[in-house]
Amino acid sequence: MNIDIKKQTRVIKENLFSSPVSTLLTFITSYIMISFFRGMFGFATAPDKDWLSVLNNMQLYMVQAYPESDFIRIWICVGLGFIFSGLSVGLWETEEKTSLSKLCLTFSKIVSGIIFLTIIAPTNSVVVSTATGIREQVEVFSYAERIPLLSILIGLLVVFFLISKINLSFNKSLLVSIYLFVPIILLWIMKIPTIQLDSENQRVFPDPLMPIANSTKIPWTLIWISFVVAYLVGVYFKNKKQFKNAVSISWVLLPLLIFSWIFKKPLIDLNELIRNDIPVFIGFLLIGVLTIYLINNKIVEKFYSYYLGFLVVVTIASLFLKVILLVKAALLLLLLFSAIIPAVSTSAKGKRSLTIVWIVSLTTTAFLLEGGTSTTQIVVPGSSIFGGFSLTWLLAIFGTYVSFPLGVLLALGRNSSLPIIRGVCTGIIELVRSVPYITWLFFASVTMAVFLPDGVEFNLIVRVLIVTAFFSGAYFAENIRGGLQSIPKGQFEAADAIGMNTVQKTSLIVLPQALRAIVPTLVSSIITSFKDSSLVTIIGLFDFLTIGRMVIGNQSIPINFIGHDRENLLFIAFVYWIFTFTLSRRSMKFEKRLGLGER
Amino acid sequence: MNKKAIVFLLVFAMVIVACGDTTEEVAVEATEEEHDHEDESTLEQVQERGFLKCGVSTGATGFTEVGDDGSYSGFDVDYCYAVAAAIFGDYSKVEFKQLTSAERFTALSAGEIDVLIRNTTWTQSRDTELGNDFGPTTYYDGQQLMGRVADGLSNSSTVADIDGLRVCTNAGTTTEKNITERVGLAGGTIQLITVEAFSEAIDKFIAGECDIVTTDGSGLVGRRAVNDALNDWVIFPTSPISKEPLGPTYRSNDSQWADIINWTVYATIIADEYGVTKANVDSADLEANPELGRLFGANDGELQTKMGLDAKAYYNVIKQVGNYDEIFSRNLNPLGLYREGGDNDRWADGGLIYAPPAR
Ligand SMILES: N[C@@H](CCC(=O)N[C@@H](CS)C(=O)NCC(=O)O)C(=O)O
Repeated sequence: MNIDIKKQTRVIKENLFSSPVSTLLTFITSYIMISFFRGMFGFATAPDKDWLSVLNNMQLYMVQAYPESDFIRIWICVGLGFIFSGLSVGLWETEEKTSLSKLCLTFSKIVSGIIFLTIIAPTNSVVVSTATGIREQVEVFSYAERIPLLSILIGLLVVFFLISKINLSFNKSLLVSIYLFVPIILLWIMKIPTIQLDSENQRVFPDPLMPIANSTKIPWTLIWISFVVAYLVGVYFKNKKQFKNAVSISWVLLPLLIFSWIFKKPLIDLNELIRNDIPVFIGFLLIGVLTIYLINNKIVEKFYSYYLGFLVVVTIASLFLKVILLVKAALLLLLLFSAIIPAVSTSAKGKRSLTIVWIVSLTTTAFLLEGGTSTTQIVVPGSSIFGGFSLTWLLAIFGTYVSFPLGVLLALGRNSSLPIIRGVCTGIIELVRSVPYITWLFFASVTMAVFLPDGVEFNLIVRVLIVTAFFSGAYFAENIRGGLQSIPKGQFEAADAIGMNTVQKTSLIVLPQALRAIVPTLVSSIITSFKDSSLVTIIGLFDFLTIGRMVIGNQSIPINFIGHDRENLLFIAFVYWIFTFTLSRRSMKFEKRLGLGER
Repeated sequence: MNKKAIVFLLVFAMVIVACGDTTEEVAVEATEEEHDHEDESTLEQVQERGFLKCGVSTGATGFTEVGDDGSYSGFDVDYCYAVAAAIFGDYSKVEFKQLTSAERFTALSAGEIDVLIRNTTWTQSRDTELGNDFGPTTYYDGQQLMGRVADGLSNSSTVADIDGLRVCTNAGTTTEKNITERVGLAGGTIQLITVEAFSEAIDKFIAGECDIVTTDGSGLVGRRAVNDALNDWVIFPTSPISKEPLGPTYRSNDSQWADIINWTVYATIIADEYGVTKANVDSADLEANPELGRLFGANDGELQTKMGLDAKAYYNVIKQVGNYDEIFSRNLNPLGLYREGGDNDRWADGGLIYAPPAR
């Protein structure tokens, strides 16, 4: 290892002990952090804690009562998520080469950390006696027990030191794919305590050791392998721009696909489909394509503004009429499209790409709508289909997916020169922001039904999603407006000078710059909505947190977990932390690549 | 202090007092009206929807429990199943909503649930002020306290003995109000710690953060049964400090719906009186016992069809869920709660479980 000791001491001195005040602060913070660690360690190792109350309820935590016979659907969702993550990591990986000594440095840092923690770990932890309710100290990790562990760790350090002398550098992707296989190996050989019941349904003590994830080993292995393969594919296609675009678009469509088709097992009425949906679909397809190709015709051009006005009226009217949902959605899409057709389809090439975009977007809309609106065939005994972590995830992801475009529209509307649009958008934003989220949740659960037209009944989860979308949409809108204001006036003038119309100006000049400026806020609102989703417990939905807080601490048959709330709460906190931490780390990398904050 | 500050403090204090005491009622009143507008009867709504929405507890040992696969079981849960069996002929057509004590009445008034079966005590104010009605009591309970032998408590301790101790219970319950009243009468003071869900109270008790937990006796017995192998905990006083008749609750002003729920409970009780169980219901002698015949839909099942149900509705209840005794024994015997000699015994044996005749 080529650590320069002198340099290291200098760095430490400059950063931690540069003045009496900073020395003091260093000591105080390290004291607090060490006490925190000791407290946590003592808690986690106390013999009266039953961590199997967490492990045994994994299924409940993840999917609540989703039936086991349809688990394959969940595995497909998880697998798709992993495959696309692998692809993206591979595609957008920046570092190419790494060397053995660098690797050893990383590992030895980790090992030294563990050595330090092993030394400072407390020997005792606190146990509450059932008989007296008084806290007692129990020895859990004596110094004698630490010696073998410490010697192994120090041995490792020495090995790393020796290896690091070898001068060898290799591709990072090779390394990544090697150590991605470590989890698979661990999955098959590692054993952990597992709850076993004897013939009288009594728990066997001590808990016998069993391989981890005994029942889910095969799916996990497959998923992990596809992850690695996807990663390698991503690395291979690194320089293909189209591939990257395809992956980006898939990220947008993937959750929609998962929630409307895979997780749900929709019930499709073929008759209905052939009689209603397919003719509507073909009709709209033709209208769109015709508009694209006839736009340069003199007569069409002359009446185009009337056509647009007509579309606006029909679209708005359709929202209140009893027509199938596909008509409403397709009309809206057609309206948006017709608004930009004159600007884009002047050349033959423009026309061709516009046609492709029209066909693809209409098809996906129809496809997703079909799955999304049909009833599910999955029978969940006694509960709603989403619960636990999948509900939390649904609220977070969908909240962001819907609220982001909504926020963009609201922000643009608020900046618009038409007073009506400006007024409405400002009104929505101010109304939504001035009422707390919890109140909106109550609105969703209690009052919203009154506002909906007769006969329309949304599922509670859908109502919550609507409210969430508006709530975070309003906040997004304000952030985006900030971004819009940061664009210098000269940009607009330049755009006007080369003859761009409003649509082009907005989509090519304004939005890209405005959105780029708000990437950090975007990520922080994803994180916020991920965490805020736990508030839905007050209107009776069972999210991840509620399961740990209210359900598990009540289980008594066949295994008793009463009084083990705290382990579960700690586990939940840990999971939330992992997710938010990864997200914010990822976004930091992303910002760096965009060069944010450097201009 | 100036005037403004005093006024502010007064208003603030009033708000706090108001919130602290009546949260449950205020929230309910706000939402009560809308439901009067709905012209569809509850039965029609439920049938149209295709499943029953049943409000149960977030967890009460023996009454509502969720297994590690998300399945539900318990005494209250079984009554939800029974109502679904009566309406749909399929007990599994239930969606459970798990509610804390404080949320339950709001959820009921708001139409989030069709019926509340969640160890809910029938009290005068709940019956008259909240727009609810109560069905027949399914479990006669009473409030008790649980403490530790090590604190000098025993079976014969009374409320007077808990002076100065920390007492935990869950918010929005009769329990909370009873204990304050009782301790006041006994001239003592306690430190009352209220939590949202009862599992938190038990967790605090186990962790030594409260000296006493208090709730319906059944809840205490259940918890002690599974957690205290060495009998270090005691439940006292032997005769409970309150009456807690627990049973189903529904919105008032829909007597058809009320009848359906009530007679579901009565059907389980009548079946028990005749000794008809899940297993032998098919071989029950309907000729010799005309009451059973009428209940199980022998002669066109007029009694049921006039209620808007299927003629075989109550046959389905017994066939799929069981009679009162089965529901009771299955869920509560493992916890050490028995019918014999108690309030929940058959009326013929000196208990209070009694049903009007099916005629
Ligand atoms: N019967 C009382 C108390 C009901 C109650 O809260 N019971 C407890 C235990 S017996 C319970 O169900 N706890 C579970 C929870 O808090 O959700 C009432 O109606 O106010």
